[in-house]
Amino acid sequence: MGPAPTGQQLRGATGGPEVIEPSFEGTGKKGKKPSSRKRGVTESQAENLLQPVKLSKAELYKEPTNEELNRLRETEILFHSSLLRLQVEELLKEVRLSEKKKDRIDAFLLEVNHRIKRVPSTPESELTDQAWLPAGIRVPFHQVPYTVKGSFHFLPPAQVTVVGSYLLGTCIRPDITVDMALTMPREILQDKDLLNQRYFRKRALYLAHLAHHLAQDPLFGSVRFSYTNGCHMKPSLLLRPHGKDERLVTVRLHPCPPSDFFRPCRLLPTKNNVRSAWYRGQSPPEDGKPDPPTPHYNTWVLQDTALGSHVQLLSNVLGSAPGLKDGVALLKVWLRQRELDKGLGGFSGFLISMLVAFLVSTRKIHTTMSGYQVLRSVLQFLATTDLTVNGISLCLSSDPSLPALADFHQAFPVVFLDPSGRLNLCADVTASTYHQVQHEARLSMTLLDSKTDDGFQLLLMTPKPMIRAFDHVLHLRPLSRLQAACHQLKLWPELQDNGGDYISASLGPLTTLLEKGLGSRLQLLAHSRPPVPEWDINQDPPKHKDSGTLTLGLLLQPEGLTTVLELGPEADQPEAVEFRQFWGSRSELRRFQDGAIREAVVWEAASLCQKRLIPHKVVTHLLALHADIPDNCVHYVGGFLDALLQGLKETSSTGEEALAVAICYYDDLSRMLWGLEGLPLTVSAVQGAHPVLRYTEVFPPTPVQPACSFYEQLRERASLLPRLDKPCPAYVEPISMVCHLEGSGQWPQEAEAIRRVRAAFQLRLAELLRQQHGLLCRATATHTDVLKDGFVFRIRVAYQREPQILKEVRSPQGMISLRDTPESLRLERDTRHLPLLTSALHGLQQQHPAFSGVARLAKRWVRAQLLGEGFSDESLDLVAAALFLHPEPFTPPSSPQVGFLRFLSLVSTFDWKNNPLIVNLNNELTAEEQVEIRSSFLAARTRLPVMVIITPQDRKSSVWTQDGPSAQILQQLVILAAKALPVLEKQLMDPWGPGDIRTVFRPPLDMYDVLIHLYARHIPRHRQAVDSPAASFCRGLLNKPGPSSLMPVLGYDPPQLYLAQLRAAFGDLALFFYDQHGGEVIGVLWKPTSFQPQPFKASSTKGHMVVSQSGELVLLPNIEAILEDFAVMGEGLVQAVEARSERWTV
Amino acid sequence: MVARRRKRVAGDLEAGVPSPPGYYAIPIKFSAKQRASHYLYVREHRVREGTQSAWPQKRTLFVLNVPPYCNEECLTRLLSPCGTVQSVELQEKPDLAESAKEPKSKFFHPTPIPGFQVAYVVFQKPSGVSAALTLKGPLLVSTESHPVKSGIHKWISDYADSVTDPEALRVEVDTFMEAYDQKIAAEEEKAKEEEGVPDEEGWVKVTRRGRRPVLPRTEAASLRVLEKEKRKRARKELLNFYAWQHRETKMEHLAQLRKKFEEDKQRIELMRAQRKFRPY
Repeated sequence: MGPAPTGQQLRGATGGPEVIEPSFEGTGKKGKKPSSRKRGVTESQAENLLQPVKLSKAELYKEPTNEELNRLRETEILFHSSLLRLQVEELLKEVRLSEKKKDRIDAFLLEVNHRIKRVPSTPESELTDQAWLPAGIRVPFHQVPYTVKGSFHFLPPAQVTVVGSYLLGTCIRPDITVDMALTMPREILQDKDLLNQRYFRKRALYLAHLAHHLAQDPLFGSVRFSYTNGCHMKPSLLLRPHGKDERLVTVRLHPCPPSDFFRPCRLLPTKNNVRSAWYRGQSPPEDGKPDPPTPHYNTWVLQDTALGSHVQLLSNVLGSAPGLKDGVALLKVWLRQRELDKGLGGFSGFLISMLVAFLVSTRKIHTTMSGYQVLRSVLQFLATTDLTVNGISLCLSSDPSLPALADFHQAFPVVFLDPSGRLNLCADVTASTYHQVQHEARLSMTLLDSKTDDGFQLLLMTPKPMIRAFDHVLHLRPLSRLQAACHQLKLWPELQDNGGDYISASLGPLTTLLEKGLGSRLQLLAHSRPPVPEWDINQDPPKHKDSGTLTLGLLLQPEGLTTVLELGPEADQPEAVEFRQFWGSRSELRRFQDGAIREAVVWEAASLCQKRLIPHKVVTHLLALHADIPDNCVHYVGGFLDALLQGLKETSSTGEEALAVAICYYDDLSRMLWGLEGLPLTVSAVQGAHPVLRYTEVFPPTPVQPACSFYEQLRERASLLPRLDKPCPAYVEPISMVCHLEGSGQWPQEAEAIRRVRAAFQLRLAELLRQQHGLLCRATATHTDVLKDGFVFRIRVAYQREPQILKEVRSPQGMISLRDTPESLRLERDTRHLPLLTSALHGLQQQHPAFSGVARLAKRWVRAQLLGEGFSDESLDLVAAALFLHPEPFTPPSSPQVGFLRFLSLVSTFDWKNNPLIVNLNNELTAEEQVEIRSSFLAARTRLPVMVIITPQDRKSSVWTQDGPSAQILQQLVILAAKALPVLEKQLMDPWGPGDIRTVFRPPLDMYDVLIHLYARHIPRHRQAVDSPAASFCRGLLNKPGPSSLMPVLGYDPPQLYLAQLRAAFGDLALFFYDQHGGEVIGVLWKPTSFQPQPFKASSTKGHMVVSQSGELVLLPNIEAILEDFAVMGEGLVQAVEARSERWTV
Repeated sequence: MVARRRKRVAGDLEAGVPSPPGYYAIPIKFSAKQRASHYLYVREHRVREGTQSAWPQKRTLFVLNVPPYCNEECLTRLLSPCGTVQSVELQEKPDLAESAKEPKSKFFHPTPIPGFQVAYVVFQKPSGVSAALTLKGPLLVSTESHPVKSGIHKWISDYADSVTDPEALRVEVDTFMEAYDQKIAAEEEKAKEEEGVPDEEGWVKVTRRGRRPVLPRTEAASLRVLEKEKRKRARKELLNFYAWQHRETKMEHLAQLRKKFEEDKQRIELMRAQRKFRPY
């Protein structure tokens, strides 16, 4: 039996995670050996690799037909590009309802209609006397207060009509719902039903009776209650067909009054229809103060009366225009991806259809427009119009009896009137929801206008869940706390208006409060809308406090985050009182440098990470002060991942400051180099070439002060050496930098000689730095190490022409041509690309302070998954940079948390096979160049590495991913990221705390064949481990820094040395995985191909033995000896070699 | 299962270690503590008639599968019981020519980390080879008397070795550069002598250094010339002047659109296959 299938069986048997399966399934396809690769590529090409298109000349240049020309012209005019057109068509196909299903739904609707008409009527009884209701049915309404006048009896509806998107043909899959309006007969309703929720209670009783009868019908699979648009006064009945069609459709029944039953003038936003005397149970106030208006209550009644007329309007507008219907469907998808359409006050599909109708009426949209154009126009309109200030109206009449727009603005935050001029369609939409819509529309417009990206994918196919879209998120729980907040904020009229829904009542004031408090720190504040509940008909409707938590998302302004000061007015100004009131005890009088004495609030924050969390302090302070919400009811999610970036001793900083200190010393040193006297050539440029110098080193370096007794001393070379009897000394990685010299014709033109001259420069540099600045230096042939204030820098002298000289090849004719050699490529990468990248990313950090945190978290995670060796430092930095430079459809992250989530989502969803990741550093690539890069990428795909990252400096070859990852490692990372993302998001969105945030950072170990356990004694970075050990070994450092006369031990990391040896010896047989940040275990995975018995060949005996197998002599890896070699080669470091699987048994 | 396998190996040992035709297998272990062993596959070094080989015939032993912890010195010690060893050369893969013509500077060419290697062992007498071919194992790389460093010991000593002596480096650089300068000076001298002097067929060599320097003979230079020519020609051409040119441009545009359309269709096909159109 071959080894590979054995392995699979064993894996299946042990029940290991499915995670690893595909990664090594892929082995056969992509192949490690060159021979199998060729086959693999052709195979996978057939599956899912784009190929350059080949059309024959005849096909390309044949006469065009009229039809073709028309289509091409249409594409040009109506769509952005032909690709977009095809994509839109495909998407619509996917979300549209098929004709076949429509027929089935129609049949079902007909049945429903019949059944409803047959529901028997009941005798008349008082509204409060609900004894006639059969047991097992609960009224879907919070009847508070219970007593109300009026009587009710059931009669079958006068009219049953289908309303809404199904009729218009704009409904989208999944979750098809059909809205049915049941017009209640006049006889049920009474004159004064408008008052004190009487109408709504009758409506609820009507539904309850209906539900009881329909529930007994075998036609329906489920009969449940829900709320219309999440409004708790208006229950609706959900009917789903029985059997296999259950998921097909949901029919929602909405009872409504005859359209002319209520007098419209009673329902203006300024009128009151819920009497305080009744609602609060008090006698009418003596002072004759009028009852407060109830605009929302009135709107909900009006909505019911206008169902028919709205449908009429929409079918008139959309009816004969397929383009508009497409547009509405696209907009619905757009809203849904942004979680904007659901719940009370959501921007529903109905609203967007009405908006399209409005734009048609104002001639901004024409009925011949395509879906894409409709989408664009609506987004453009939303982006540029602020409905919170300038409301719009569909009403054409100039009847003076109609209320003015200003009246509506008084009562509602967002105003969009229907054709009657009395109903505000956006009554429940809060200002923050509308601002969020506007913000999204603005982002989408810029995306559509830029021609570079795949707008379609980002606009319509990328979900934007709150946790991934907002920098910080906070949960308010339990929701019952908001009831107290309503009292504290004196929101009784709003409560009366909302029928006791304290969440909607308090939402507006709370968001305004926080927006004011966060001020310049905030870009956008959004809130979640409580999900629309559904419940069984024999249950009470869910209480307000049961609707989960209220989640607020904060989009932060990076510029505002840098300040700790909230500057108020001058002390003698009248606004000062208001300021003091707003900030309470936090506000204090301060004298400023310009002599002004002002009110001010100062937050204590020393480091960037603390400054980032100032919003947390602001929110808890304000909520406690103004809304009586104590801080244990606020769960703020913003800094949980910071712990993974914090060093052992410091918990107040995530390391940006420490990196800045190192960079500061680097700047000092480069100034010294520039001013150095006595070098044969002067220094022309000094460039950084190390992650520290671009803020992406996971653990920033600290100044070292070695304790000499801990080391062997090599006095004559001023160096310390590690000692055998002590634990491994602290790991000091030199910070590398490149030093360019002025041009000169004196350099030799031969590679070997150049090396010698460079070495001479290194020696001279060391000598001069020692003489002129008293620095401790150590020169080798390739670099000079300099100890400066506890940091070690490694200076490399570079000669610009050296890569070119290494490339020169002389043909037999004497022609000199340039050919890349591995050595020249390496040199070019280290002395040209790396410094450029380092300075570009350093610049990026200045623009986006969160970059450092994101890049380091990302690297930390990849390394913690033991995959760090497969990915170069720079490639991961570039992926992190892409999140900032190409954040679409989001905005650039302002906190490490959200950046890391987007990193995971980018890694797990990016199609590396068919796309290069273009990282447009400094915005140097134009749109045309990017298009060109994409097309040349396709042509050269097979020659490029698995993961291709393009930067303006490196447009073709993707230098940073040339040496890896391999297809398997990348695939493994993709799988791990796809698994980690939902886990982490769920943890962070859990309102009761994230639990163990390190869960996703712990690697799965059960996939490895052999585990090599190491002694912590010889792991210098042991304390950096994800689960930091409580105790580790002394690493020979003194606590107090001081001058040192000996060079510390540099870059001595036994696990890395061990790994290098293992890879050199057994690289053909196995893969080795290790977390360089304090990993205690090395994972070994045998390559499945290496266990194929091979015929004897002199060149492939490495580590193999000859075995006679069925009479033939074949080569097989000598596993037992190799396992013992693992222990021999790591003597002193290796604790145990644990062979876990028996995949290798032959 | 490990145990079972071990038993089988033990069984093999009794029957004699299997070795490929022409080779003889010698078990080798790091020290007496190890239980399983690697196998050196050895044979006399022979080459086909007429092939040049740097290794002396008859006296050279060709060794395959030398473990990474076994260096030249070690191999010498292990094989010296068979006869006096003249030299040992370890290489990454079998190679007929003796590779290191001149000793490379340790400052500029650090030795790579060894994997499994092959070795050419030259004995003083041919008898050494034949004795080696009957050698009974297992050979022990590290013994009480001659311990071989591995693990932490090795890394610490490697680290100590890597701390270079700047003086030695300076001396090495100076000597090399002196020799290099002399070499260059001699070459220039020679070039100067030859300048303008026709060779026996009457050709005069034209160099960069002459009175009228010529274009360097590089690929880049010749490409540049070609490019310039092309641009010159393109400038003279008239675009969209004749009706047929006009027609052709239009057709060309259409063809471009068609090609783009085809590409897009392929893309869509792929996305559909990957179910990229499920929005949620």
